[in-house]
Amino acid sequence: MTLETEVEALRKVPLFHGIDETKLRLLAFISDRTEYPAGERLCSQGEEGDCAFIILSGDADVLVHTPEGEKKVAQVSENSIVGEIAILCDVPRTATLVAANNMDVLTVSKDDFLKLLKEFPDISLEVMRTLALRLERTTRDLADARRGAAGG
Amino acid sequence: MEKSLFSFIWKYSARQQIYILLVTVLSYPVVYVLLELPKLIVNDAVQGDNFPRNILGFDFDQVPYLLLLCFTFLGLVVVSNGLKFYLNVFKGRLGERMLRRLRFELFQRVLRFRLPHFRKVSSGEIIPMITSEVEDVGGFIGEAFALPAYQGGMLVVQIGFIFMQDPLLGLAAISSYPIQGYVIPYLQKRVVILSRQRVRNIRVIADKVGESITGVAEIHANDAAAWHSADISDRLYENFRIRYEIFNRKFLIKFLNNFMNQLTPFFFYLIGGYLVIEGNLSIGALLAVIAAYKDLAGPWKELLSYYQMTADVSVKYQTVVENFDPPDIHELDRLTSDEKAELSGDLKFDNVSFSGGAAGQEVMEISLTVPAGTACAIAGPDGSGRSEVLQLAAGLVSPSSGKICIGEHDLDKLTDSTLGREIAYVGGAVHVWTGTIRDNLYYGLRHRPLILPEREGEALRLYKRRVSEAKETRNPLYDLEAVWDDLEAAGADSIHTLDEKALELLEAVGLDKDIYRLGLQSRFDPSMDDTFAGKILNVRKNLADRILHEPALEGLVELWHPDRFNASANLADNLFFAVPSDPEITMDQVPEMEEVRAFLTETGLDEKLRKVGLKIAETMLELFSNVSGDSGLLGAYSFITQDEIPEFERIVRIAKSEQQRPGLTDADRSRLRGLAFKLVPARHRLGIMTDELRDEVIAARKRFLETVVKDNSAFVAFDPDVYLPPLTIEDNLLFGRARVDRRDARRRIDDVIRTIVEETGLRRPIIYAGFGYHVGVSGSRLSAGQRRRIALVRGLLKNAKITILDDIATGTTEDDKALRRGLQEILSGKTFLFGTSNADIAAEFDQRFILDQGRISDKG
Repeated sequence: MTLETEVEALRKVPLFHGIDETKLRLLAFISDRTEYPAGERLCSQGEEGDCAFIILSGDADVLVHTPEGEKKVAQVSENSIVGEIAILCDVPRTATLVAANNMDVLTVSKDDFLKLLKEFPDISLEVMRTLALRLERTTRDLADARRGAAGG
Repeated sequence: MEKSLFSFIWKYSARQQIYILLVTVLSYPVVYVLLELPKLIVNDAVQGDNFPRNILGFDFDQVPYLLLLCFTFLGLVVVSNGLKFYLNVFKGRLGERMLRRLRFELFQRVLRFRLPHFRKVSSGEIIPMITSEVEDVGGFIGEAFALPAYQGGMLVVQIGFIFMQDPLLGLAAISSYPIQGYVIPYLQKRVVILSRQRVRNIRVIADKVGESITGVAEIHANDAAAWHSADISDRLYENFRIRYEIFNRKFLIKFLNNFMNQLTPFFFYLIGGYLVIEGNLSIGALLAVIAAYKDLAGPWKELLSYYQMTADVSVKYQTVVENFDPPDIHELDRLTSDEKAELSGDLKFDNVSFSGGAAGQEVMEISLTVPAGTACAIAGPDGSGRSEVLQLAAGLVSPSSGKICIGEHDLDKLTDSTLGREIAYVGGAVHVWTGTIRDNLYYGLRHRPLILPEREGEALRLYKRRVSEAKETRNPLYDLEAVWDDLEAAGADSIHTLDEKALELLEAVGLDKDIYRLGLQSRFDPSMDDTFAGKILNVRKNLADRILHEPALEGLVELWHPDRFNASANLADNLFFAVPSDPEITMDQVPEMEEVRAFLTETGLDEKLRKVGLKIAETMLELFSNVSGDSGLLGAYSFITQDEIPEFERIVRIAKSEQQRPGLTDADRSRLRGLAFKLVPARHRLGIMTDELRDEVIAARKRFLETVVKDNSAFVAFDPDVYLPPLTIEDNLLFGRARVDRRDARRRIDDVIRTIVEETGLRRPIIYAGFGYHVGVSGSRLSAGQRRRIALVRGLLKNAKITILDDIATGTTEDDKALRRGLQEILSGKTFLFGTSNADIAAEFDQRFILDQGRISDKG
């Protein structure tokens, strides 16, 4: 795969929806392209997060600690970005990511991503918009859930 | 030491000086005959009559007579110049020998200074004294006696001749001498004073420059560059001023001298003319006197410049030597003696006082006893006299009153050969020598050459010459190439046991891991130890096997394979598939090597690489054109730094418009190629590394190996079955590249290497290889903690009867606690003094003395 194909993949990530191509190419270039065979960990819950993962191909299981041990709570797949929370605010990883099959991942380090945001404010704006949308949706979900809980 | 230059010269070279004088005098008749012969040839052989001439019973006709005289002349020319040549070489050699002796003497005196004296002198001042300031003395020594004797003799002869012609004229000839004899020394005295000032000023400059270099971080951290610049600039002005004054005076002397010399003919013409007119002197005599006077000018000038030079060199000599003669200098014997007394008794301080010359460096009336073979802590804050007590106990400084004894030996009367061998002292400010770790570890065992190397043929001849020169100049005869490591003192029977002992101690002080890492990073010469190289190759195979078969390791490493492209390595490695034999030549420099350039041109690769480089440059410019320089993105990821952007913009512009003149220069092309060589396909996914290009690179690689690398000692080809000396041991073990597209591949593979190394017992040899690591100037490539621990191991390796540590391993961490326990164990049965500022740490020892303000305040 080359930068071009990576840019194609990045374009499909909602977070980078409105960002123009040259900047996506730059993002792709400064990221590390990493392969993960099935079963290898991308990150572990509780450790400090220093990078975000953009999945180019393959799937990863999202595991969290429970009293009964690690439990799969979700799966993330192609064209999604995971771990971005860790690079925007300093919180430990909230979940463990394990490759479910052979994966191809772009890894963006925290420093570089922040530099990129500083350099191109329109990317920040786009990231903000996406996060705001997500927050809005979460708030609505929460309200719905509460209403459901109160009603039920 | 001789206070004046002439007594120094006379003391050490009287015989040679007399010899020079004799040869000079002997050469005089030759010169004289040489001057007379032409006259004889012209007057007698060419213009004479009444031939034949009878010489030594042979009759010579005119032409044979001419031939005889001419060949005699030729012979004398050869003899006279030969003598001159011989004499010059002899003088030069004598000068160099005396200079060597003087310099060595000065250095030896530095070693004899008492330690407190070094608070008053700085290396910045001492170094120019020994190196440059005495340089002129060497040139002068050969001439010191011969020149005044010879030229003075000539002068006397000429003056005598003039006096014989006419006493009055003789008086006229020397009439200016009293004036010159008075004025010139007067002026010269001032020059001498100025020269002294100049020398001192230069020393201060040297010292300040040295200080600026040592404290350069402070200068920048405090923005004090302006202050230092002003300081140096002032000193340089001072230097200018002094020099200006010096040569003003020198030229004034010259002027006066020339003036006086030309004034004398004035008297000749006046007085001589009058005498001739009055009929008291013949005209011929007057002309002869004037001619003789002209000959007088030569020797006079020589004598005068000799006088000036003497004054100059003497003052230089004195200004140097006076610094090397402190009244309390150690006896020479302390340095050179090889007698070793056994220091086996109790350590006893008897009413000892000492003053280091500043507050907080005093010790007052201390009496203490440390029984032989016991450990004792000496505690007290800095400035309590603790360090002084420990230095006194090591015999490094002498008490001003009182007595320090070990057994029945008074430390002050012992020589270095006992103190430095029987006592191991490691102070707070350790020094690590420029050299390898091994040099530093075994430094405490290198007292004298022990096993002399066997030499024969040329080497023996050169060695003998070196020795005889050393004898000639009273330099020591120690052989630097001999084995100096005193195995016996360290309790080892071979160098291997010594290495093992060192390793044990390194483990005890926790330095083994560091040395192991340095060992992995170091290079080693397989011709020194075949089996070690063989073992490394085994590990390499073993590792390759595991990488191939263990799923967890699979894909972490891309090994070098002759037929495969290594995507985790750059294009240069992939193309050349070899490394320069000289590890100093980096991979970046390889494309510029002559044979490589020729290869690239021949195969047309340079053009292809240039295109690849151009593509990279274009992409980089496109990607980073909108990124500001201070973002930090550019340096870390692109092939191009911020500063290079305009340069590459120009190159790309020219390269794109084919017609533009001037086109790309050679330097531009090589820059583009340089970009291409840096490409690591797995990291830089620029889409440039197509399959065809890969195949082309592999094909070119084979050709390169075939045409350039083969039979070329400048390169070593990558070969899985061969140890590559230019690579580090680590690279030889792995023999591939950790994949850049796998997370933590490097760390994970390092773990695997470490376990395999441990399993195969290679850890030890690798640590020993780490002994060969070069520590940089004064250990600058080691951390401060590493330097301390190296010094500690050095002290422990000496296996001395008394070990004294000051401010070493005095941390409160668990590691340091364990280290102290370890030290007590290692040194059990030996006398052990441990200096610390922490009373709690002192409590770990059975005996302790607590110092406060130079007195013992408590003991336990």
